Amino acid sequence: MQPTALVASPNKAMPASEERAGKYLIFRLGSEEFGVRVMKVREIMGIQDVTPVPHTPHFVKGVINLRGKVIPVIDLRLKFDLVPEDYTSRTCIIVVRTEFGEDELMMGTIVDEVAEVLNLVPADIEDTPDFGPGVETPYLLGMAKVKDKVKILLDIDQVLNNNELQGLGSLML
Amino acid sequence: MAQRKSQQETPPAAIVAEARSVREQIDDLSTRLMIGGAGKLTAYDFGALCTAATNEGLDVLAESASALAAHFRSGSKTPLKEREDLATKGLEHFRILLEGGTVEPIPELAATSAPTEMNVYAEDVEMIEEFITESREHLVAIEGKMLELETDSTSAEVINAVFRGFHTIKGLAGFLEFASIQQVAHEVETLLDLARTGKLAITPPVVDVVLESTDYIKREIAAIDRKIKGGPAAASENNTDLLARVKAASTGEPAPVNIQSTPATEDPTDDWPTTPEPEPQSATPQAEAPHPPAIAPTEVTPPTPLREERRSSDVASVRIETAKLDHLMNMVGEMVIAQTLISHNPNLSSIKDTRLMANLAQLTRITADVQKVTTSMRMVPIGLQFQKTARVIRDLSRRAGKQIVMMMSGEDTELDKAIAEELSDPLLHMVRNSVDHGIETAEERLLTGKDRTAHIRLAAYHQSGQIVIEISDDGRGLNKEKILKKATDRGLVKPGAQLSDSEIFLLIFEAGFSTAEQVTDISGRGVGMDVVRRHVQKLRGRIDIQSEQGVGTTFFLKLPLTLAIIEGLVVVVGDNRYILPIFSITEMFRPRPEVLSTVKGKGEMATVRGSLLPIVRLHQRFNLEPRVQELTEGMLVVVESQGKQYCLFVDDLVGKQEVVIKSLGETFKDVVGLAGCAILGDGRVGLILDIDGIFRGRA
Repeated sequence: MQPTALVASPNKAMPASEERAGKYLIFRLGSEEFGVRVMKVREIMGIQDVTPVPHTPHFVKGVINLRGKVIPVIDLRLKFDLVPEDYTSRTCIIVVRTEFGEDELMMGTIVDEVAEVLNLVPADIEDTPDFGPGVETPYLLGMAKVKDKVKILLDIDQVLNNNELQGLGSLML
Repeated sequence: MAQRKSQQETPPAAIVAEARSVREQIDDLSTRLMIGGAGKLTAYDFGALCTAATNEGLDVLAESASALAAHFRSGSKTPLKEREDLATKGLEHFRILLEGGTVEPIPELAATSAPTEMNVYAEDVEMIEEFITESREHLVAIEGKMLELETDSTSAEVINAVFRGFHTIKGLAGFLEFASIQQVAHEVETLLDLARTGKLAITPPVVDVVLESTDYIKREIAAIDRKIKGGPAAASENNTDLLARVKAASTGEPAPVNIQSTPATEDPTDDWPTTPEPEPQSATPQAEAPHPPAIAPTEVTPPTPLREERRSSDVASVRIETAKLDHLMNMVGEMVIAQTLISHNPNLSSIKDTRLMANLAQLTRITADVQKVTTSMRMVPIGLQFQKTARVIRDLSRRAGKQIVMMMSGEDTELDKAIAEELSDPLLHMVRNSVDHGIETAEERLLTGKDRTAHIRLAAYHQSGQIVIEISDDGRGLNKEKILKKATDRGLVKPGAQLSDSEIFLLIFEAGFSTAEQVTDISGRGVGMDVVRRHVQKLRGRIDIQSEQGVGTTFFLKLPLTLAIIEGLVVVVGDNRYILPIFSITEMFRPRPEVLSTVKGKGEMATVRGSLLPIVRLHQRFNLEPRVQELTEGMLVVVESQGKQYCLFVDDLVGKQEVVIKSLGETFKDVVGLAGCAILGDGRVGLILDIDGIFRGRA
């Protein structure tokens, strides 16, 4: 994966379909289905008590205790500016490994529901369409069409790693 | 070599006793060779044998062992089969040598070619790392011992200890082919050998040159360390001068007259950072009368068996990566939580099984024990840091031309390794401050009727769950007026501000503050003290100062015993629980209306024990929805930070709890007002408040 290439010019520098093929964890947010690389997923857990951290953006729900490690949790619905919805028994926290600067960071992402794991072949994957100027899509890896349904493939490093999270506290004060 | 000769003069019984360890090693090696073949033996095995043999004065054996080691070094081109033959032959050979027999030398095991400078760093990185750690430990011990020798130069035991340290370093360096280190260690060893056989008195010049050598070795080791970590290769420093000086020191005749003329102190080379400037003998801190020359030869104790002592310390400790310990700490923390969750399970009360209850109680006890032991594994005595500081004081006092005696107490006090390591910088800056600003020159001292020798005392002790480190001097003390004036000049304090004594003293920790009249090379650039404050803050500690003008100054560093665990007060605001570190709390109470007042209609204040303190509402700072808005319905917690007190308003208190501190991680490192987090008894995360940050808040 070459996340950095995506930022500069999302549509031109899209990696070849072959590189993007592989297993994806498909989850749902509202009516949309999204996919993240299975390689990036550490574990999936039910929703649990999240300790809020003051002075953080609204989509940062707080921190949880993952077997002795304290990890941040963000709500993907809020991150993608979707309408907030109450958590249900199907709400999950997907714990992903992301690159954070030089280090690897574990982070929880709250999603509506986890659907399935799909093995996507290159033929399933298309580049993100050009939404025209003003629509930045740096964290989209591409689109996958399976049985006529579109899954949006996310580059989770880009979703979580743009400067919004880094040093966010100082911005809020 | 002199040392070996002296050992051969000792009674034969001693040789036999010492030889056992070489024999044991040979036995062990042959067994392993027989069972596992040559592939199971490493160069390090033979290196150890070589060291032991040198210790016992078995020159020939040592040389062959060292040559044999070369064949076993990884990267050696000797084929396995040949290695096996060589090892078998060699070990056989060693046995005969040990029996006192003579044998034809094995040609392959003749001494190898002269050691090359900074060797290839073979692929033996692990071995070199081990060498670095071990040597550093020895060097620290050596420095401490040398300072001891400065006050009591006759202690044979201490001289022996230093000798052993250098000896080991020499052995290891030689084996890893760090020629420059080996040469220096060798010369010093020779020098010390004269001392321990009573042929040379330990005089300040001798101490100087030995300390200089430790500095040299330290620098070389640092260079090697950089190299194996992938840094640029540095040519080893030129040691000719140093070697010459060590040699010169060893030729000093034992007669006291000659001590003055020992060439070492007159050597004008000045490129050594720690070289004391040539100065008259009287300026040395412990300027005692030179010790009586040679100790009568009859009093010389035979060299103590080196091997035995080393071995006992080897058995007594294991080196563990701190990362592993941290992991263990984490797991134990989790275990404690899991255990608490089980024993607080409401369903338990309906179970009538006494056996189950007894087992559970047992589990609780064991868990508590495991937690205690885990915590204690990270503890180290503070003595090591004190020794380093002692060395600094010695060098600084010489350079400043002041006579200073250092005293220590409580070196055995244990504290977390991480804290101990963080402490070395603040300690250094504080003693610098004492030596440079606190202590007067000898003349000044005499004028004010003080003893011309000044004292600096380092003490450590436990007090109410914290460790207190005191650094006190009997110097001129802090000048309150001068500090206040300067702080006002620099805009650190508003003119006319009312400050308590301790608040005034704490001003010296402000960045850019310096009371020294003139800038000296030692300190006075105004950087030292704010470094101290930063470090101490980082360690969640506090600084207090007591000072009386003309009498002296005492700094108190109050630090937590461990970084891993704090005692916290759990408070509630709305649905959130927060943890306040107990050490920053002075009291807590539910305010009555009469103690509350407002300033200009907005700033809220409370009168606590006669002083007016500002009130900070936590819910406002953190934008929370509180359960209570009225001050009189909630609780005020009086907290203190940086000498400033204020009241923190919270909904309610939950109780006191010991918590394992965790970092919130990179993501939240800039969030103001949080010092970290901890996992509470129910498995949820609680945030630990940063008292200072909350007060400064938006500012």
